Amino acid sequence: MRNRLTAVVALTAMLGLTACGGDSAESDGPVTLRMTTWSANEAHLKLFNEIAAEYTAANPDVAGITFDPIPFESYTTTLTTQIAGGNPPDLAWVLENSAPDFVTSGALVPLDDTLKGTEGYGFDELAPAATKLWQTDGKLYAYPFSTSPFGVFVNTDLVKASGAQSPAELIAAGQWTWQNALTTAKAVQAETGKAGLVVRDFDYKGWDFLSTVWTGWGAQAWSEDGRTCGFNSAEMVEAMTALHRGIFVDKALPGPGTTADFFAGDAGMTITQISRASLLEGQKFGWDLVPLPAGPKGEYAVIGQGGMGVLKQGRNAEAAADFLAYLTNPANSAKLAQFFPPPRTSLLTADTLAKTSPLLSPEQLQQVVIDGIAEGVVKPSHTGQAELNQAVRAALDPLWRPDADVRGVLDGVCTAINPLLAK
Amino acid sequence: MSVLTRDTVGRAGGRSAPGGAAPHRRRGWWTTRRRDQLAGLLFVAPQLAGSVLFVLIPLGLVFWYSLHEWNMLAGTFEFVGAGNYQAMADDPNLPSVLRVTALFSIGLVVFNLSLALLLAVLLNQRLRGTVVFRTLFFSPVVVSLVAWTIVWGFLLQDNGGVNGALGTVGMDGPNWLRGDWTALLSVIVVQVVKNVGLNMVLFLAALQGVPAELYEAARVEGANAWTRFRRITVPLISPTILLTSIITVVGSLQVFAQIAVLTQGGPGTSTTVLVYYLYQRAFQFHQFGYGATLSVLLFLIVLVLTVVQWRMRRKWVFHEQ
Amino acid sequence: MNSRLSVRARVALYGVLCLLALPFVFPTWWMVTSSVKPVGDIFAFPPSLIPTEASLSAYRRVFELQPFAQQYLNSGYIAAVVTVGTLAVSSLAGYAFARIRFRGQQVLFVVVLVGLLIPSEVTIVPLFRMFNSWGMVDSHWPLILVPILGAPSVLATFIMRQFFITLPAELEEAARVDGLGRFATFWRIALPLARPALGAVAIFTFLHSWNLYLEPIVFLSTPEKFTLPQALTQFVDAYGGPMWDVQLSAASMTAIPILVIFVIAQRQFIEGLAHTGLKG
Repeated sequence: MRNRLTAVVALTAMLGLTACGGDSAESDGPVTLRMTTWSANEAHLKLFNEIAAEYTAANPDVAGITFDPIPFESYTTTLTTQIAGGNPPDLAWVLENSAPDFVTSGALVPLDDTLKGTEGYGFDELAPAATKLWQTDGKLYAYPFSTSPFGVFVNTDLVKASGAQSPAELIAAGQWTWQNALTTAKAVQAETGKAGLVVRDFDYKGWDFLSTVWTGWGAQAWSEDGRTCGFNSAEMVEAMTALHRGIFVDKALPGPGTTADFFAGDAGMTITQISRASLLEGQKFGWDLVPLPAGPKGEYAVIGQGGMGVLKQGRNAEAAADFLAYLTNPANSAKLAQFFPPPRTSLLTADTLAKTSPLLSPEQLQQVVIDGIAEGVVKPSHTGQAELNQAVRAALDPLWRPDADVRGVLDGVCTAINPLLAK
Repeated sequence: MSVLTRDTVGRAGGRSAPGGAAPHRRRGWWTTRRRDQLAGLLFVAPQLAGSVLFVLIPLGLVFWYSLHEWNMLAGTFEFVGAGNYQAMADDPNLPSVLRVTALFSIGLVVFNLSLALLLAVLLNQRLRGTVVFRTLFFSPVVVSLVAWTIVWGFLLQDNGGVNGALGTVGMDGPNWLRGDWTALLSVIVVQVVKNVGLNMVLFLAALQGVPAELYEAARVEGANAWTRFRRITVPLISPTILLTSIITVVGSLQVFAQIAVLTQGGPGTSTTVLVYYLYQRAFQFHQFGYGATLSVLLFLIVLVLTVVQWRMRRKWVFHEQ
Repeated sequence: MNSRLSVRARVALYGVLCLLALPFVFPTWWMVTSSVKPVGDIFAFPPSLIPTEASLSAYRRVFELQPFAQQYLNSGYIAAVVTVGTLAVSSLAGYAFARIRFRGQQVLFVVVLVGLLIPSEVTIVPLFRMFNSWGMVDSHWPLILVPILGAPSVLATFIMRQFFITLPAELEEAARVDGLGRFATFWRIALPLARPALGAVAIFTFLHSWNLYLEPIVFLSTPEKFTLPQALTQFVDAYGGPMWDVQLSAASMTAIPILVIFVIAQRQFIEGLAHTGLKG
């Protein structure tokens, strides 16, 4: 019995020790790199594998590069489990809402030197609006490979059937405002029975997607420095009141607990990132893409991002950074641009984008993509985002009832998140 | 009869083991007792090794982690002693989480056991087609949990199948997953329908072991159906009730995927049970040390509940002897 | 047991049973029928019970998007290995705890039972670190070893022990008097009698492994190694939006074979469970 106990204690101690230090053994010879992604999309993976094959052909030190798709829902969780478990990937996609956590925690390797030192990389042409979120203390910690503005996709068949003014007509008349957009959405719902306007991925949980609405009122989730809650500002109350009325009085937006998929033809309009245009391939209904409607504060744009970083705890950080530089060089950025709007200004022209996004017209690309990236506000993010996210979601839930006291609920949101913002 | 009442842990061998029944095998030092000692240890060795390696050591490590502040992302791991336990005592969310957990578990256990018993009694009648029904009631058990939960997610939407069905009989169903009470209720029902088949079958087996003569005798004495159920059926199947309730209580504290898929703990925090909360803190908020502390709490709760149930069996489980 | 029922009681009973069966049957029915509907009809309101136009194209997509046949094979072989392994480990341990008297039995049984009390979320990180230090991440080993030896097999051991206790000991005693060793007695006498319990444990174990969700997601990262529940989460468009028709097709394919086996084998299935020695 005593022997067995000793063995147990020894084993525990060993495991306890390995809990602290990562495995840092540098292996000799060719290495294999691993990148985690949240896209299991076959076209994406095909392109990545092609680029990886070219890279390994030219770099004998790297034997291969694998791309691990992790389900979107559990992406960050699985990634952190792998890191904590001592098996971090070499490269990882980073969701924009966890960007501050990854960038400031020291989990990622700064990329500036590698990227600037790569010949023909053109580091200076990365749009500052796109890289801002991924920098701290003047260093870039992840490459924003996808900088995708939000736009409004319109099911022109449904809008026509409703008899309401279409967004295109409203734009032509210079009247593409939130008020008119909601009127059209209300008409679609009333006349066709389908949903009017869907804020995609919001689903009464992903509240940060509502920034595509409240930014038009000049509202913010929190101040620039992340210290002051913005939910109870006058602008926010006004924006949320309009939204609440749109949902519960006018039925312009589907209520909580109702599924309506625009891309299956169930909704008149949807607000989503323009990169979703690829879902419209082979669609049976007529569609259009327009910028977000103007709010009381005028025109605005919102962008969503995805970053790509090199993990410090990974075994081959240097090789990984080198591959990242290759993957995102001008030539490969142009290839990636067919799926992910790039942060490079040289690629942000209607001509270049038209080649890779054949579904969109040059006007749409100019209006929504190029102008969007230039002027866009990034969706709200903050260190400790997951906890904040959860706190806001829970505090915001009482708003999604017909008889909600908008002001009171929003005050409650600030009460709930102030301690977190102060951290 | 009454397996669970006739033995207690460790006394099992004493009743039936033919330990001393083979005296001719005794050859000096190498006695039957020594042989049994070795055989017993060898027989349980794989299970024991597995338990130590995959249960006890991980559990010990979780306790070790709970004494640390561990940010998975930053890779920081600092000893904080009882700091996490102090934080747990001060955690403003915890009272609500524990309340929801208690409501959820009680609701689930009561609903599961009573439905299982009801179905078992109904299917124990002499009736054609019970085989078909028993198959139907059991079938969700074999459907993949994730698929099952996703499908119910659709059905429970405001404009989904459940409210559609209620609409055909003129009822206006609530927005199930969006109301505080209805969300909790929905998760319970989805979970019960998925798993009640197992308990139903166990009850069915127990019911079939109740001698028909007892019912006949009671009938002769004029006992009505309810009295017969309470005075004969329940006491005779009480060991099964005990077993199923232990398994169901333990299981109810481990329900996770369903909540993650259906409600993500909302609306508000109305379906945030302990296991989901610890998942949030550890894996979503990257506070693994605190998550480990909550794990220790969860483990203690399950342990205490199980011990209490096991102790209580003396009070209410029917003893034949 | 009631010997006879009046016609009226019978009709009422059927009515109640049919009504109760609805929530058990409808979700599966909906899943299967929706998988052949055009995407736009899946959320049609009110939901249609029978698809107006059926198409198997989503089923084809399942195989195009993922190495689904391989994943099917993975799930199948892992579940089979886990089932056989668990039967071996748990019947041995269950038998010893029920029949053999040895020192430390009581303590060891309690030690083993601890496994029954732990949700897998609690130990996943330490387990991940262990398997990582053994170089077994992104392999099927964790999905095989942990269920066979760790917490999931404890319920199996518990059931086996309960069953062996109910077996009459006389046969084994006779065999022992005839000079059979412990293992031979177990193997030739006790085990054949334990067939119903083994059946039940096999079913429990197979289903548990087949449905395992958290562990594959955490441990596996290569699509060719994925298991079915994990594969189900992969049918999404580039932005995490689910491809409903494809997901439902894949979900149907994971459920239907098991349901068919269940319908065919349901008598043994349920009776196997019914005779686990857990009855009163």
